Amino acid sequence: MSGKGTLDLVERLTNECIDVCQAVLRGRKYLGPLLDPSFRTQKLQRAVNEQKTAVGEMEMAVDRIMTAVEKMSEIDFSDGGAAALRVAECCDEIMEACCFQDITGQRLSQVNETLGVVEDTLSFLSDGPAETVQPDDKTLLNGPALPGGGMGQDAVDRLLADDMGKQEAHR
Amino acid sequence: MAVDMKMPILIVDDYKTMLRIVRNLLNKLGFSDIDEATDGTEALAKLKSRRYALIISDWNMQPMTGYELLQKVRADASTKSLPFVMVTAESKVENVIAARKAGVNNYIIKPFSAEVLKAKLKTVLGDF
Repeated sequence: MSGKGTLDLVERLTNECIDVCQAVLRGRKYLGPLLDPSFRTQKLQRAVNEQKTAVGEMEMAVDRIMTAVEKMSEIDFSDGGAAALRVAECCDEIMEACCFQDITGQRLSQVNETLGVVEDTLSFLSDGPAETVQPDDKTLLNGPALPGGGMGQDAVDRLLADDMGKQEAHR
Repeated sequence: MAVDMKMPILIVDDYKTMLRIVRNLLNKLGFSDIDEATDGTEALAKLKSRRYALIISDWNMQPMTGYELLQKVRADASTKSLPFVMVTAESKVENVIAARKAGVNNYIIKPFSAEVLKAKLKTVLGDF
């Protein structure tokens, strides 16, 4: 191969290397939202935890409902008054257990939101940039706390009582 | 003074199941006049057309959250002192403090029991 031919080959290979590098850099840019450490450590991890917690809560709710139904099926109806009371108690238990639908719904919304980011990024990679819709301001919308992450009713009551006491003292 | 069990109550939640649960529990406690709204905007419209004695609202709703509803209720002279109970899964301390500052009368964490709802309503309305 002549010197000119060698130089042409080197130039072509160099240009191809540059194209490959640029493609990798573009890909990294498009993948930016997913490569952001906070996405992995917060959003993705939270989505996984929310999903696990939701499954656990559904299991608990079904268990409560099934237990109440089993109790109802064992009620002795020979004493009508006592039986009615037992049925009412079981109905209350079932109704309270049904609260799970709201809470797990909120948890799964957070999972959907995270999956939406992944979907958008993959669409961006395959189809190029699309119009992105900025989410609404969600200040103070934390959703249901993960186990151990929020306040219990007793803690809320104490906080409110303390706050009301301070307001009274201030008057 | 005895609580009027026929007082009109507005419950606000975007989950139909929760509306049904709260309505059933209120009925069981003896309250009979219950209206429903599925977000803050619908609740505000209902508040303009009728005088309620109590609002029980969720926080996390779109387009208007229960927190925004609370702020608007407190900003309006006609509803400024209307008892407002937040029933929500939002259990972070900053949420409770923000709701308190905005003028919430009580705050119930989901999931809750009939006993908790009854106890909180007694705190707000008096014994019944």
